[in-house]
Amino acid sequence: MSKFKKDSGGSAPAINTSSLPDIVFMLLFFFMVATTSKESDPSVKVIKPEGARTTDMTPYKQKSEIDFLYLGKPLNKARAAQYAEMGMEYMLFMDNVVQSTPDLLYNTNSIQAWKLDKFESKPPRMTEPIESVITCVKADKGAPSGIIFDIRKELQAIEALTIAYAVGENGEK
Amino acid sequence: MAKRDTPEVNAGSMADIAFLLLIFFLVTTTMDKDQAYIRNIPKIIEKKKENPDPVEKRDIFAIQANSQNQLMVRGELMRDPDDISERIIEFYRENEQVNDVTNDFPMYSRITMPEIESLLDQSITAAEEVEATPGALADIIDFKWRQVAEWEKKKRALEILGTNKLAEISVQAHIRIEVQKGTEYELFAKIQSEVEQGLFELRDDAAMKIFKESYQSIKSRLAMDKGAEDREKIQLLKILYPDRIIEVTPKR
Repeated sequence: MSKFKKDSGGSAPAINTSSLPDIVFMLLFFFMVATTSKESDPSVKVIKPEGARTTDMTPYKQKSEIDFLYLGKPLNKARAAQYAEMGMEYMLFMDNVVQSTPDLLYNTNSIQAWKLDKFESKPPRMTEPIESVITCVKADKGAPSGIIFDIRKELQAIEALTIAYAVGENGEK
Repeated sequence: MAKRDTPEVNAGSMADIAFLLLIFFLVTTTMDKDQAYIRNIPKIIEKKKENPDPVEKRDIFAIQANSQNQLMVRGELMRDPDDISERIIEFYRENEQVNDVTNDFPMYSRITMPEIESLLDQSITAAEEVEATPGALADIIDFKWRQVAEWEKKKRALEILGTNKLAEISVQAHIRIEVQKGTEYELFAKIQSEVEQGLFELRDDAAMKIFKESYQSIKSRLAMDKGAEDREKIQLLKILYPDRIIEVTPKR
Protein backbone atom coordinates (compact mmCIF):
# COMPACT_ATOMS: atom_id res chain seq x y z
CA MET A 1 0.00 0.00 0.00
CA SER A 2 1.55 3.22 -1.04
CA LYS A 3 1.55 6.32 1.06
CA PHE A 4 1.34 8.62 -1.92
CA LYS A 5 -1.61 9.28 -4.09
CA LYS A 6 -1.22 8.04 -7.61
CA ASP A 7 -1.37 10.62 -10.36
CA SER A 8 -4.97 10.83 -11.23
CA GLY A 9 -4.14 10.88 -14.95
CA GLY A 10 -5.71 14.26 -15.64
CA SER A 11 -3.98 17.11 -17.54
CA ALA A 12 -1.20 19.06 -15.84
CA PRO A 13 -2.23 22.38 -14.30
CA ALA A 14 -1.63 25.42 -16.52
CA ILE A 15 1.57 27.39 -15.81
CA ASN A 16 0.91 30.89 -14.68
CA THR A 17 2.49 33.19 -17.27
CA SER A 18 1.13 36.47 -16.00
CA SER A 19 4.60 37.62 -14.92
CA LEU A 20 6.19 36.81 -18.28
CA PRO A 21 5.59 40.30 -19.72
CA ASP A 22 7.29 41.80 -16.66
CA ILE A 23 10.34 39.66 -17.17
CA VAL A 24 10.54 40.46 -20.85
CA PHE A 25 10.07 44.18 -20.23
CA MET A 26 12.87 44.07 -17.73
CA LEU A 27 15.15 42.50 -20.33
CA LEU A 28 13.99 45.07 -22.86
CA PHE A 29 14.86 47.98 -20.60
CA PHE A 30 18.22 46.46 -19.82
CA PHE A 31 19.11 46.30 -23.49
CA MET A 32 17.76 49.77 -24.15
CA VAL A 33 20.04 51.19 -21.49
CA ALA A 34 23.12 49.07 -22.11
CA THR A 35 23.37 49.41 -25.88
CA THR A 36 23.73 52.20 -28.36
CA SER A 37 22.19 52.36 -31.78
CA LYS A 38 24.20 51.34 -34.80
CA GLU A 39 24.96 54.24 -37.06
CA SER A 40 25.17 52.12 -40.16
CA ASP A 41 25.90 48.64 -41.38
CA PRO A 42 29.20 48.73 -43.22
CA SER A 43 29.75 46.54 -46.23
CA VAL A 44 33.38 46.02 -45.30
CA LYS A 45 34.84 43.69 -42.71
CA VAL A 46 36.65 45.53 -39.94
CA ILE A 47 38.54 43.79 -37.15
CA LYS A 48 39.76 46.56 -34.89
CA PRO A 49 43.26 46.47 -33.43
CA GLU A 50 43.59 46.75 -29.68
CA GLY A 51 44.83 49.70 -27.70
CA ALA A 52 44.93 51.13 -24.20
CA ARG A 53 43.87 54.51 -22.78
CA THR A 54 41.40 55.37 -25.48
CA THR A 55 38.88 58.17 -25.58
CA ASP A 56 35.22 57.25 -25.49
CA MET A 57 33.36 58.53 -28.53
CA THR A 58 29.86 58.28 -27.02
CA PRO A 59 29.54 61.96 -26.00
CA TYR A 60 30.46 63.05 -29.53
CA LYS A 61 27.97 60.60 -30.98
CA GLN A 62 25.22 62.02 -28.82
CA LYS A 63 26.00 65.49 -30.15
CA SER A 64 26.39 64.04 -33.67
CA GLU A 65 29.76 65.74 -33.99
CA ILE A 66 31.29 62.66 -35.51
CA ASP A 67 31.29 60.96 -38.90
CA PHE A 68 32.37 57.38 -39.36
CA LEU A 69 34.56 56.07 -42.10
CA TYR A 70 35.26 52.36 -42.46
CA LEU A 71 38.25 50.78 -44.11
CA GLY A 72 38.39 47.06 -44.70
CA LYS A 73 38.05 44.25 -47.16
CA PRO A 74 34.65 44.06 -48.86
CA LEU A 75 32.23 41.54 -47.38
CA ASN A 76 31.07 40.69 -50.87
CA LYS A 77 33.50 37.92 -51.89
CA ALA A 78 33.08 38.32 -55.62
CA ARG A 79 33.70 42.04 -55.43
CA ALA A 80 36.70 41.52 -53.16
CA ALA A 81 38.26 39.14 -55.66
CA GLN A 82 37.56 41.43 -58.59
CA TYR A 83 39.18 44.43 -57.01
CA ALA A 84 42.03 42.52 -55.41
CA GLU A 85 43.13 41.65 -58.94
CA MET A 86 43.41 45.32 -59.67
CA GLY A 87 45.60 45.74 -56.61
CA MET A 88 42.90 47.32 -54.48
CA GLU A 89 42.37 45.15 -51.49
CA TYR A 90 40.87 47.58 -49.04
CA MET A 91 37.67 49.44 -49.60
CA LEU A 92 36.28 52.55 -47.95
CA PHE A 93 32.79 52.70 -46.59
CA MET A 94 31.29 56.01 -45.56
CA ASP A 95 28.30 56.13 -43.26
CA ASN A 96 24.99 57.40 -44.57
CA VAL A 97 25.95 57.08 -48.20
CA VAL A 98 22.93 55.42 -49.71
CA GLN A 99 24.21 54.53 -53.12
CA SER A 100 27.68 54.66 -54.47
CA THR A 101 29.57 52.74 -57.05
CA PRO A 102 32.47 50.56 -55.96
CA ASP A 103 34.82 52.74 -57.96
CA LEU A 104 33.85 55.63 -55.76
CA LEU A 105 34.37 53.57 -52.65
CA TYR A 106 37.91 52.69 -53.55
CA ASN A 107 38.76 56.28 -54.15
CA THR A 108 39.76 58.59 -51.33
CA ASN A 109 38.78 61.52 -53.56
CA SER A 110 35.15 61.02 -52.64
CA ILE A 111 35.81 61.78 -48.97
CA GLN A 112 35.75 65.55 -49.46
CA ALA A 113 32.29 65.57 -51.01
CA TRP A 114 30.97 63.15 -48.39
CA LYS A 115 32.34 65.14 -45.46
CA LEU A 116 31.10 68.48 -46.76
CA ASP A 117 27.72 66.98 -47.53
CA LYS A 118 27.42 65.61 -44.03
CA PHE A 119 28.49 68.92 -42.57
CA GLU A 120 25.79 70.76 -44.56
CA SER A 121 23.10 68.40 -43.39
CA LYS A 122 23.87 68.79 -39.69
CA PRO A 123 21.04 70.28 -37.60
CA PRO A 124 21.26 74.07 -37.23
CA ARG A 125 21.65 73.85 -33.45
CA MET A 126 25.08 72.36 -34.07
CA THR A 127 27.49 75.24 -34.08
CA GLU A 128 30.82 73.43 -34.17
CA PRO A 129 33.08 74.53 -37.02
CA ILE A 130 34.14 71.86 -39.48
CA GLU A 131 37.65 71.78 -37.93
CA SER A 132 36.35 70.16 -34.79
CA VAL A 133 33.85 67.73 -36.29
CA ILE A 134 35.56 64.40 -35.75
CA THR A 135 36.10 61.97 -38.57
CA CYS A 136 36.43 58.57 -36.96
CA VAL A 137 38.33 56.07 -39.09
CA LYS A 138 37.52 52.47 -38.28
CA ALA A 139 40.23 50.58 -40.07
CA ASP A 140 40.96 46.89 -40.24
CA LYS A 141 44.03 45.53 -38.46
CA GLY A 142 45.78 44.67 -41.71
CA ALA A 143 44.99 47.84 -43.62
CA PRO A 144 48.07 49.72 -44.82
CA SER A 145 48.72 53.01 -43.04
CA GLY A 146 49.22 54.71 -46.40
CA ILE A 147 45.45 54.85 -46.89
CA ILE A 148 45.04 56.46 -43.47
CA PHE A 149 47.37 59.23 -44.54
CA ASP A 150 45.54 59.58 -47.87
CA ILE A 151 42.37 60.13 -45.85
CA ARG A 152 44.17 62.70 -43.71
CA LYS A 153 45.25 64.55 -46.81
CA GLU A 154 41.71 64.74 -48.13
CA LEU A 155 40.44 66.00 -44.78
CA GLN A 156 43.23 68.54 -44.58
CA ALA A 157 42.19 69.98 -47.93
CA ILE A 158 38.72 70.87 -46.62
CA GLU A 159 40.02 71.89 -43.17
CA ALA A 160 38.25 69.10 -41.31
CA LEU A 161 41.13 68.91 -38.92
CA THR A 162 40.10 66.40 -36.28
CA ILE A 163 40.59 62.71 -36.90
CA ALA A 164 40.10 59.73 -34.61
CA TYR A 165 41.61 56.29 -35.02
CA ALA A 166 39.19 53.67 -33.76
CA VAL A 167 40.55 50.77 -31.73
CA GLY A 168 39.11 48.15 -29.45
CA GLU A 169 39.78 48.79 -25.78
CA ASN A 170 41.97 46.17 -24.15
CA GLY A 171 41.65 47.60 -20.68
CA GLU A 172 44.44 48.09 -18.19
CA LYS A 173 47.94 47.21 -19.18
CA MET B 1 -29.00 52.09 -15.26
CA ALA B 2 -27.19 49.33 -13.46
CA LYS B 3 -23.44 49.68 -13.08
CA ARG B 4 -21.68 47.17 -15.33
CA ASP B 5 -18.49 45.41 -14.32
CA THR B 6 -15.56 46.33 -16.53
CA PRO B 7 -14.42 43.16 -18.27
CA GLU B 8 -10.94 41.94 -17.48
CA VAL B 9 -8.34 42.99 -20.05
CA ASN B 10 -6.66 40.05 -21.67
CA ALA B 11 -2.95 40.52 -21.06
CA GLY B 12 -1.92 37.32 -22.76
CA SER B 13 -0.44 39.08 -25.78
CA MET B 14 1.52 41.56 -23.67
CA ALA B 15 4.46 39.17 -23.60
CA ASP B 16 4.41 38.93 -27.39
CA ILE B 17 4.50 42.68 -27.76
CA ALA B 18 7.34 42.97 -25.29
CA PHE B 19 9.29 40.24 -27.06
CA LEU B 20 8.83 41.99 -30.35
CA LEU B 21 10.22 45.22 -28.95
CA LEU B 22 13.05 43.36 -27.28
CA ILE B 23 14.07 41.69 -30.51
CA PHE B 24 13.86 44.98 -32.37
CA PHE B 25 16.28 46.57 -29.92
CA LEU B 26 18.58 43.57 -30.00
CA VAL B 27 18.88 43.84 -33.75
CA THR B 28 19.28 47.59 -34.15
CA THR B 29 21.76 48.28 -31.36
CA THR B 30 25.29 47.29 -30.55
CA MET B 31 26.94 46.61 -27.26
CA ASP B 32 30.43 47.83 -28.10
CA LYS B 33 31.36 51.39 -27.36
CA ASP B 34 33.35 53.37 -29.87
CA GLN B 35 36.85 53.90 -28.58
CA ALA B 36 39.40 55.93 -30.46
CA TYR B 37 42.45 58.18 -30.32
CA ILE B 38 41.72 61.75 -31.31
CA ARG B 39 44.43 63.52 -33.28
CA ASN B 40 44.63 66.88 -34.95
CA ILE B 41 45.61 67.33 -38.55
CA PRO B 42 47.80 70.40 -39.12
CA LYS B 43 46.48 73.23 -41.26
CA ILE B 44 47.96 73.75 -44.68
CA ILE B 45 50.39 76.67 -44.64
CA GLU B 46 50.53 78.60 -47.90
CA LYS B 47 53.73 80.50 -47.24
CA LYS B 48 56.49 78.23 -46.07
CA LYS B 49 59.81 79.28 -44.65
CA GLU B 50 62.66 78.65 -47.06
CA ASN B 51 65.01 77.19 -44.48
CA PRO B 52 63.13 76.39 -41.31
CA ASP B 53 65.21 76.39 -38.13
CA PRO B 54 66.40 72.87 -37.47
CA VAL B 55 64.93 71.12 -34.46
CA GLU B 56 67.52 69.86 -32.01
CA LYS B 57 67.92 66.12 -32.09
CA ARG B 58 67.41 65.88 -28.37
CA ASP B 59 63.89 67.29 -28.74
CA ILE B 60 62.69 64.62 -31.13
CA PHE B 61 61.25 61.34 -29.97
CA ALA B 62 61.01 59.54 -33.29
CA ILE B 63 59.08 56.29 -33.60
CA GLN B 64 59.63 54.77 -37.02
CA ALA B 65 58.00 51.71 -38.52
CA ASN B 66 58.67 50.27 -41.94
CA SER B 67 56.51 48.24 -44.27
CA GLN B 68 57.85 45.01 -42.76
CA ASN B 69 56.39 46.19 -39.45
CA GLN B 70 59.80 46.63 -37.83
CA LEU B 71 60.12 49.32 -35.21
CA MET B 72 62.81 51.86 -34.57
CA VAL B 73 62.71 54.23 -31.61
CA ARG B 74 65.18 57.11 -31.48
CA GLY B 75 67.41 55.33 -33.95
CA GLU B 76 67.46 51.97 -32.20
CA LEU B 77 65.69 48.86 -33.35
CA MET B 78 62.98 47.72 -30.98
CA ARG B 79 61.52 44.23 -30.85
CA ASP B 80 58.65 44.69 -28.47
CA PRO B 81 56.36 47.66 -29.11
CA ASP B 82 55.24 47.47 -25.46
CA ASP B 83 58.50 49.19 -24.46
CA ILE B 84 57.66 52.43 -26.26
CA SER B 85 55.67 53.86 -23.34
CA GLU B 86 58.61 53.37 -20.97
CA ARG B 87 60.91 55.15 -23.37
CA ILE B 88 58.45 58.04 -23.61
CA ILE B 89 58.38 58.36 -19.83
CA GLU B 90 62.18 58.40 -19.83
CA PHE B 91 62.10 61.10 -22.55
CA TYR B 92 59.99 63.40 -20.37
CA ARG B 93 61.57 62.51 -17.02
CA GLU B 94 65.29 62.58 -17.71
CA ASN B 95 65.84 66.34 -17.38
CA GLU B 96 62.76 67.18 -15.38
CA GLN B 97 64.54 67.83 -12.10
CA VAL B 98 67.94 69.06 -13.29
CA ASN B 99 69.00 69.94 -16.82
CA ASP B 100 71.92 67.89 -18.05
CA VAL B 101 73.41 69.27 -21.26
CA THR B 102 75.39 66.12 -21.97
CA ASN B 103 72.48 63.74 -22.41
CA ASP B 104 70.17 63.35 -25.38
CA PHE B 105 66.88 64.42 -23.80
CA PRO B 106 64.88 67.66 -24.06
CA MET B 107 65.74 70.58 -21.80
CA TYR B 108 63.35 72.00 -19.25
CA SER B 109 62.79 75.67 -18.59
CA ARG B 110 61.88 76.76 -15.08
CA ILE B 111 59.86 79.91 -14.97
CA THR B 112 58.76 81.92 -11.92
CA MET B 113 55.50 83.77 -11.30
CA PRO B 114 56.89 87.33 -11.78
CA GLU B 115 58.42 86.19 -15.07
CA ILE B 116 55.12 84.76 -16.27
CA GLU B 117 53.31 87.93 -15.28
CA SER B 118 55.70 90.21 -17.11
CA LEU B 119 55.59 87.99 -20.21
CA LEU B 120 51.81 87.98 -20.06
CA ASP B 121 51.77 91.80 -19.98
CA GLN B 122 54.23 91.90 -22.86
CA SER B 123 52.12 89.57 -24.95
CA ILE B 124 48.99 91.64 -24.29
CA THR B 125 50.67 94.88 -25.40
CA ALA B 126 52.08 93.09 -28.47
CA ALA B 127 48.62 91.77 -29.38
CA GLU B 128 47.04 95.20 -28.96
CA GLU B 129 49.74 96.78 -31.06
CA VAL B 130 49.17 94.33 -33.91
CA GLU B 131 45.44 94.85 -33.68
CA ALA B 132 45.87 98.64 -33.93
CA THR B 133 48.12 98.36 -36.98
CA PRO B 134 46.14 99.04 -40.15
CA GLY B 135 46.14 96.15 -42.61
CA ALA B 136 47.23 93.50 -40.13
CA LEU B 137 46.25 90.00 -41.16
CA ALA B 138 43.45 88.39 -39.18
CA ASP B 139 45.56 85.25 -38.78
CA ILE B 140 48.36 87.19 -37.10
CA ILE B 141 45.99 88.98 -34.72
CA ASP B 142 44.45 85.62 -33.89
CA PHE B 143 47.87 84.14 -33.29
CA LYS B 144 48.86 86.96 -30.95
CA TRP B 145 45.74 86.57 -28.87
CA ARG B 146 46.28 82.83 -28.69
CA GLN B 147 49.70 83.54 -27.22
CA VAL B 148 48.08 85.74 -24.59
CA ALA B 149 45.68 82.92 -23.74
CA GLU B 150 48.64 80.57 -23.50
CA TRP B 151 50.34 82.77 -20.88
CA GLU B 152 47.12 83.12 -18.93
CA LYS B 153 46.82 79.34 -18.83
CA LYS B 154 50.37 79.04 -17.52
CA LYS B 155 49.74 81.66 -14.87
CA ARG B 156 46.68 79.79 -13.67
CA ALA B 157 48.57 76.50 -13.78
CA LEU B 158 51.34 77.79 -11.55
CA GLU B 159 48.77 79.20 -9.14
CA ILE B 160 47.22 75.77 -8.78
CA LEU B 161 50.57 74.04 -8.57
CA GLY B 162 51.53 76.29 -5.65
CA THR B 163 55.29 75.98 -6.08
CA ASN B 164 57.51 78.91 -7.00
CA LYS B 165 58.65 77.55 -10.35
CA LEU B 166 56.88 75.94 -13.28
CA ALA B 167 59.02 73.30 -14.97
CA GLU B 168 58.20 73.13 -18.63
CA ILE B 169 59.62 70.86 -21.26
CA SER B 170 61.22 72.54 -24.28
CA VAL B 171 58.56 73.87 -26.66
CA GLN B 172 60.16 71.94 -29.47
CA ALA B 173 60.06 68.57 -27.73
CA HIS B 174 57.69 66.33 -29.61
CA ILE B 175 56.81 62.77 -30.43
CA ARG B 176 57.15 61.99 -34.10
CA ILE B 177 55.43 59.00 -35.63
CA GLU B 178 56.88 58.00 -38.97
CA VAL B 179 55.35 55.05 -40.75
CA GLN B 180 55.60 53.79 -44.29
CA LYS B 181 52.67 53.29 -46.63
CA GLY B 182 52.79 49.54 -46.17
CA THR B 183 52.90 49.55 -42.36
CA GLU B 184 49.95 47.64 -41.00
CA TYR B 185 47.31 49.68 -39.24
CA GLU B 186 47.60 47.38 -36.25
CA LEU B 187 51.16 48.54 -35.59
CA PHE B 188 50.22 52.17 -36.22
CA ALA B 189 47.41 51.85 -33.67
CA LYS B 190 49.79 50.14 -31.25
CA ILE B 191 52.21 53.07 -31.50
CA GLN B 192 49.35 55.49 -30.82
CA SER B 193 48.29 53.34 -27.89
CA GLU B 194 51.78 53.32 -26.41
CA VAL B 195 52.13 57.09 -26.77
CA GLU B 196 48.83 57.55 -25.00
CA GLN B 197 49.84 55.06 -22.31
CA GLY B 198 53.14 56.83 -21.65
CA LEU B 199 51.53 60.26 -21.37
CA PHE B 200 48.79 58.84 -19.17
CA GLU B 201 51.29 57.38 -16.72
CA LEU B 202 53.22 60.66 -16.52
CA ARG B 203 50.08 62.69 -15.93
CA ASP B 204 48.69 60.15 -13.51
CA ASP B 205 51.86 60.30 -11.42
CA ALA B 206 51.70 64.08 -11.32
CA ALA B 207 48.00 64.01 -10.46
CA MET B 208 48.66 61.67 -7.55
CA LYS B 209 51.45 63.92 -6.28
CA ILE B 210 49.70 67.27 -6.69
CA PHE B 211 46.01 66.45 -6.19
CA LYS B 212 46.22 63.07 -4.38
CA GLU B 213 43.84 61.69 -6.95
CA SER B 214 44.21 59.67 -10.12
CA TYR B 215 44.18 61.33 -13.54
CA GLN B 216 41.40 59.00 -14.63
CA SER B 217 39.10 60.05 -11.81
CA ILE B 218 39.64 63.76 -12.52
CA LYS B 219 38.96 63.13 -16.19
CA SER B 220 35.79 61.14 -15.65
CA ARG B 221 34.50 63.69 -13.16
CA LEU B 222 35.14 66.44 -15.69
CA ALA B 223 33.19 64.48 -18.29
CA MET B 224 30.28 64.19 -15.86
CA ASP B 225 29.85 67.70 -14.49
CA LYS B 226 32.29 69.90 -16.43
CA GLY B 227 33.55 71.76 -13.35
CA ALA B 228 35.93 74.67 -13.91
CA GLU B 229 38.21 73.41 -11.16
CA ASP B 230 38.74 70.04 -12.81
CA ARG B 231 39.29 71.64 -16.18
CA GLU B 232 42.11 73.72 -14.74
CA LYS B 233 43.63 70.66 -13.11
CA ILE B 234 43.68 68.82 -16.43
CA GLN B 235 45.11 71.92 -18.07
CA LEU B 236 47.96 71.99 -15.58
CA LEU B 237 48.75 68.33 -16.19
CA LYS B 238 48.76 68.96 -19.92
CA ILE B 239 51.15 71.88 -19.52
CA LEU B 240 53.49 69.72 -17.47
CA TYR B 241 53.34 66.85 -19.97
CA PRO B 242 52.17 68.19 -23.32
CA ASP B 243 51.11 65.78 -26.05
CA ARG B 244 52.80 67.22 -29.09
CA ILE B 245 52.48 64.46 -31.63
CA ILE B 246 53.55 64.79 -35.23
CA GLU B 247 52.40 62.14 -37.68
CA VAL B 248 54.58 62.30 -40.74
CA THR B 249 52.91 61.61 -44.07
CA PRO B 250 54.75 58.64 -45.59
CA LYS B 251 56.49 59.10 -48.91
CA ARG B 252 56.84 55.44 -49.75
